[in-house]
Amino acid sequence: MKRIFKHPKPTDNDVVGPNYWRSPDELAGDPRFDTWLHQEFPSGAAVAEEGDRRTFLKLMGASFGLAGLGLSGCRMPKKYILPYSKQPENMIPGVSTYYASSQPGAKEHIPLVVETHQARPTKIEGNPSYAGFGGGTNGYAQASVLDLYDPDRARKSASKQAGTLSRGAALDEFIAAHKAYVPKQGKGLAILAEASSSPTRARLVAELKKKLPQTIWAEYEPVDSSNPEAALAALAGKRLRPLYHLDRAKRILSLDADFVATEPGHLKYARDFAKGRKILNSSEAGKMNRLYAVESNFTLTGGMADHRLRAATSHMPAFAALMAAELLSMTGGSQELIAVLKKQGTGLKVDQKWLTECARDLYKNRGEAVVFAGAHLPLEVHALAYAMNQALDAEGKTVTYVQLPDVDSASITTLAEAIEAGQIDQLFVLGGNPVYNAPADLDWAALQSKAGKVVRWGYHEDETAVDADVFVAATHYLESWGDGRTMDGVYVPVQPMILPLFDGISELEAVAHLAGVAFEDAQGYDLVRATFNAIAGTADQLAFDRWLTEGVLPESEFKVAVTAIAPANVVKFAAGQAMAAQVLSKDRLELRIVPSYHTYDGRYNNNGWLMEAPDPLNKLSWDNAVCISPQLAEELGLLANPIKMDRDGNLRMNANQFDTGREQAKIVELQVGDTVVKGPAHIQPGLADYTVVLSLGFGRTVTGRIGTDSRRPEARPHGFDVYPFVTAASPSLALNAQIKVTDEVYEMANTQEHWSMEGRAIIREANVEDYEKHPKFVDKMGMESHSPPIYGKHQDKSDQFKVTEIPRGGSAYETPEFTGEQQWGMSIDLNTCTGCNACVIACQSENNIPIVGKDQVLRGREMHWIRLDRYYSDGLNPQDNKEERMQIPHDPQVSFMGVACMHCELAPCESVCPVNATVHDQDGLNVMAYNRCVGTRYCANNCPYKVRRFNFFDYNKRDQNELYKGPLGEKNDVTTTQMQKNPDVTVRMRGVMEKCTYCVQRIQEAKIDQRTKAKDSANVNVKDGTIKTACQQVCPVDAIVFGDVADAATEVSRMKTSDRDYSVLGYLNIRPRTTYLAKLRNPNMAMPGAQQMPLSRVEYENRYGHASHGGDHGDAHASPSSAKAHH
Amino acid sequence: MASAASDASIANPQVLNKVKPLDMPRRELVENKRDFHWVTEKICGIVEGKTPIWWWFLFACSIFLASFTGIGLVYLVASGVGVWGLANPVNWGWAIVNFVFWIGIGHAGTLISAILCLLRQKWRTSINRAAEAMTIFAVICAGIFPVFHTGRPWFALLPGYLLPAPNSNWIWPQFRSPLEWDVFAVSTYGTVSVLFWYMGMLPDLGVLRDRAKVLWRKYFYGILAMGWRNSNRHWRNYEMAYLLLAGLSTPLVLSVHTIVSFDFAASNLPGWHTTIFPPYFVAGAIFSGFGMVLTLMLPLRAVYGLHDLITQYHIDCMCKIILATGTMVGYAYAMEFFIAWYGANPYEGFAFVNRAFGQYAWAYWIMISCNVISPQLFWFKWIRERHWLVWIICGFVNCGMWFERFVITCTSLANDFLPSSWGYYSPTIVDIFTFFGTFGLFSTLFLLFIRFLPLMPIAEIKAVMPQADAHGDHGKGEHH
Repeated sequence: MKRIFKHPKPTDNDVVGPNYWRSPDELAGDPRFDTWLHQEFPSGAAVAEEGDRRTFLKLMGASFGLAGLGLSGCRMPKKYILPYSKQPENMIPGVSTYYASSQPGAKEHIPLVVETHQARPTKIEGNPSYAGFGGGTNGYAQASVLDLYDPDRARKSASKQAGTLSRGAALDEFIAAHKAYVPKQGKGLAILAEASSSPTRARLVAELKKKLPQTIWAEYEPVDSSNPEAALAALAGKRLRPLYHLDRAKRILSLDADFVATEPGHLKYARDFAKGRKILNSSEAGKMNRLYAVESNFTLTGGMADHRLRAATSHMPAFAALMAAELLSMTGGSQELIAVLKKQGTGLKVDQKWLTECARDLYKNRGEAVVFAGAHLPLEVHALAYAMNQALDAEGKTVTYVQLPDVDSASITTLAEAIEAGQIDQLFVLGGNPVYNAPADLDWAALQSKAGKVVRWGYHEDETAVDADVFVAATHYLESWGDGRTMDGVYVPVQPMILPLFDGISELEAVAHLAGVAFEDAQGYDLVRATFNAIAGTADQLAFDRWLTEGVLPESEFKVAVTAIAPANVVKFAAGQAMAAQVLSKDRLELRIVPSYHTYDGRYNNNGWLMEAPDPLNKLSWDNAVCISPQLAEELGLLANPIKMDRDGNLRMNANQFDTGREQAKIVELQVGDTVVKGPAHIQPGLADYTVVLSLGFGRTVTGRIGTDSRRPEARPHGFDVYPFVTAASPSLALNAQIKVTDEVYEMANTQEHWSMEGRAIIREANVEDYEKHPKFVDKMGMESHSPPIYGKHQDKSDQFKVTEIPRGGSAYETPEFTGEQQWGMSIDLNTCTGCNACVIACQSENNIPIVGKDQVLRGREMHWIRLDRYYSDGLNPQDNKEERMQIPHDPQVSFMGVACMHCELAPCESVCPVNATVHDQDGLNVMAYNRCVGTRYCANNCPYKVRRFNFFDYNKRDQNELYKGPLGEKNDVTTTQMQKNPDVTVRMRGVMEKCTYCVQRIQEAKIDQRTKAKDSANVNVKDGTIKTACQQVCPVDAIVFGDVADAATEVSRMKTSDRDYSVLGYLNIRPRTTYLAKLRNPNMAMPGAQQMPLSRVEYENRYGHASHGGDHGDAHASPSSAKAHH
Repeated sequence: MASAASDASIANPQVLNKVKPLDMPRRELVENKRDFHWVTEKICGIVEGKTPIWWWFLFACSIFLASFTGIGLVYLVASGVGVWGLANPVNWGWAIVNFVFWIGIGHAGTLISAILCLLRQKWRTSINRAAEAMTIFAVICAGIFPVFHTGRPWFALLPGYLLPAPNSNWIWPQFRSPLEWDVFAVSTYGTVSVLFWYMGMLPDLGVLRDRAKVLWRKYFYGILAMGWRNSNRHWRNYEMAYLLLAGLSTPLVLSVHTIVSFDFAASNLPGWHTTIFPPYFVAGAIFSGFGMVLTLMLPLRAVYGLHDLITQYHIDCMCKIILATGTMVGYAYAMEFFIAWYGANPYEGFAFVNRAFGQYAWAYWIMISCNVISPQLFWFKWIRERHWLVWIICGFVNCGMWFERFVITCTSLANDFLPSSWGYYSPTIVDIFTFFGTFGLFSTLFLLFIRFLPLMPIAEIKAVMPQADAHGDHGKGEHH
């Protein structure tokens, strides 16, 4: 981030005048400075004379240290990068600067804006200039900044023979390899890299191949998502990628696809899907889209579904065949194909009505319907999905096919064969971690030792690095130049925010040197610049600057290809495969292998934020589990002991066994062929009966301190390794598995013990039809229907009046004075929230929230300021269904609710704090004065939402394994991690209560900014949308809206006028400023199992609803018009 | 002091012959026709005699036990509150339970000294001194917990946080918080109890001083006696001051536990937010206080041979108070359930059903059996006369009252409004040691008390003996 200060040359007058200078550059350019420098540093002056600011600062760092220049200057990257939109006039200490960049990924780059404080990247935000994501990001992107400061990352390159290598020596490995293989045309040289969308890398690889044509360039991704493209290539003969436009889709059928959370492009898909579910009032309810999900795992997409069918992943081909047959017969498709498909689908046990009605609904909405197949499914399913989309007239409307650039890379299998044949004598492993995550049937660890000299370029000294001959430290993407493309091809930059913390080499530099690019041209900046010039078709500096500033290159997306998929091709596909569904049972299980919410494929294994953030569905932190269905659990005899209140019929049984709040998981043994893996079993409602779901990325044997579970006696890794089940042919599914229960018990840190809402009106749900009839259904639920907040004679006043005057209905108690011009509030739309966890990590990153470690999570002391509550509902009520009350739901609906401090206007936490540490400010924020807090914890007890978090230990200061040793324990290594801390937010010590502040630091920054602009005018109100809380900013579906509730024109006020707006526990008269928009489901009543009401609502109505007492006072279903009468 | 037999206010004295009123003499407060000298010798003898071996043994044990609290607190302050079993959602655990428990214990002393004094219940005289001492020691034990349960006790103790003092930012404590009320209630109670106890001891300290044969005793008791000379003027001032302090303490007996109950009642948590708490807590406190008085006095009576001073009559009286307050507490338990049902608030209803049948049901049923069922045995005279049984039942009462506070504090917190945040609280070894250590601290202080200070008010006992009554021999059925 070196900035060029274009100050005019000092005039003669200046030179003789008083000694002022505006920047170090100017000082360095001052002739008097030269003289002084020579006197002061006779030996170093020659170096400084170059006038290079960085060199200058290096020399002068010590003397300028007190002025604060040395600290900020020493980490400046050398090439000039440009800030994103909000550029302060100069670097002002305390004012953050934002730069556009992007996070590299196998299929797509996620466009980012990175917040930096004095050249330290502290917070990742999405880049709103990329319309597809609208500023949204995911948890992985949010947490990636922590990896930059990982104290366990590789700091030095090293070779087995020579020991530690300098950066230059490490570069020499690549340069020398190129030189050595030029005569052999690259024969014997192989490179295994991660997949990438970077055009610069592709260009360099092409150059490498040109110069060393015999080199094997292979790419490997453990979470493979190439099937959709491979199927299209086979069908249409071109390299195409399907892009779905879910915002245009009214009916969506998902075949085992988790398009809101894990599929490539999920941020855009989630965002587009949510657009079809953003309903403000009941009049718009008819617009809502409908999602049919068929899946084996319980994914977040399944959680959003209006109809969810549990089916094994191995049954998807047969299911797709039957569904395609159904649809094609409606559209009059080829009879031959239908016959083939019906034959292929025989043997699959499925509710025919489900198929028919679903197909009919899709067909009725053709042109606005789409079928989405999961990337892990075999090619034939994708072929059938494309055929169905063609039949549904989806092409060009809800799905488009875009032309991808050609790539030329071998698979890991090809490379393995070459190594096996002894053809490779030097292997470069660029990134990835094949020893840990390569398909088990390749036995990479053994293979690698046969590959001659192995050079490993990696970020951590991991499993692959252990046996490599040379290890070369990699830079983080926040330290390196790069570029890439989003899913739809938009060209985005990767800018370094900081000079490499350690002596690393970037990927582009490594490949460039391998490709023999001249040393002076092999700098990241120059490489990217050259590619940009080619892609943008201009060498204009301004165009390049603009690209860096905005972070996206307009009109660079992939071109849409028109393709007609011939039915004959599909027939070939459909007929040629064995698609028949195998019967699954307890002794013939299928293992579905999915990326983990914590570690993805293992790469985030040493990232504390991701490890601690609970998995959205099973709520486990720090571990992965053998997720089994309740049906399988029953057959294995693994059900939990009934919990205490079952005799009374008031509590639903817990799915898993808990002892004093800790999940006691039985260890099970999974066996496929000769491969045996042991792991703790977790009962997960909603799974297909005989599918066992395993997540990747745990059980790392060589990892850092976060990935190591020090609770276990011999410091073993967290979780267990699933890669032994991953094969080259079938990376995400293993069949014919057996399971055996052992006697061992393993404790798991589960952050949510109880799965049922117990009929309480916490998450309020309605079906669209129901909602249209009873728009104010939310007011008919919960205690509020009997005892609404007490506004007295002000009941009918506007929301804006209520938030500023705080009427108490004649109560004598004094209330805080809300005199601020602007009153802050929040609205969370439960209908669009997918439960993706991004807000949890964004909040952690913004607010310096510490991780506490597995042991503390087991004790229930996680510190997240925002949490996602997950409830299952099956519509059963224990007292109504005595015989079923013991059951764990096999096929429930799931709902999520993000819960953070609600900033109650009449906050119960404030009245009980004896020291005035938590009080209201005039803007309606419930603020914490950390200095005042003595830690009585009374506030947390009195908080009905339990959102307050207490620092039981010095989590920031003390190593998580040394907490109980008190002052004798070791302190954290914070040399790097403290650089991530947001300087605008206090780092809390032990004994202090903390909680969500609505990102008060962002509010204050915006207010100060506005007041500065306003000067003496009255225009001091911050414009709506200027302040985005961290959770709001990250949310890809814009479920969270924050703003001024005293102004009726703001977005948040508009949201709160919705008829679905309600306060959780509103009857307590505490008047939370965060309110929720009720969740909606849009079932098709013709479908089997369709319910008049969502299941959670059924539970409420049966247990506490009005129906039970005769509807004499405003029964929601009897007389919607009486809604007013209630208040 | 009108005599019934000779009462002129009865219109027709002959009626007495007709109805033949039963001759029911007041039971003697000091049995076996002991004289004043015996009383002085007996009580002073405890202090003046040779230190018994058992005392040394118990004292060593107590100090050892008390060190658990010390070690526990040092570890706590050095490491963080995390060494206890607390977590979200149960942010108050054993510390607050122990605080309420000890404060409750401390109730009997002042009740006996103040309320029974005002009500002229003369049987209080032989037990009030020890009960008052017990109160003070219990308040000391109680006071430890609210201070050390805070996350940053070094600030909690600093004026300007919990103690009102103007600081540089002119921030005062938050006077709406029940915890702030606790600060005032407990400190006032502690102060008045110490004053009352010490002032009541002055005449006896004078006696000990006068009898002292060793120099250090002369100085020790001489300073403590503050120049008490038994003059009429001293006695007049003493009696007036005693009466005033009794009057001052009486509302405190009710207010302290009322305010402690506000810690819960003023919150909005189902199971805490209950208007019945103040009377129910006071009843419970007296209940546990008397339990503790009997627990302490029965062994003392046996060891020191105080049978003539603490008579069966005294024991009966205390058992009956335990029976009455135990029944009140039982009524309160029932009423809580009734109101939860009658209020038709599902959260409230759940909280109470959950107490009885939920994950902490074991604690609830311990509480019910100890607090409601066991004192009912005191209906039977046979049981009241079996002192080892009385002692065991009093142990149950104390145990039950600890569990009552545990049930109220923890079950309500563990399962509150949102099932997503439900949890389970269990103590750690540090919690357990710190609590049991306070019994050591309590016994240490109590052992020092019986060794160095007069266990019973000599002067007051003499005042309720027949010899003190100039008209003592006037007919039978005389009311004292």
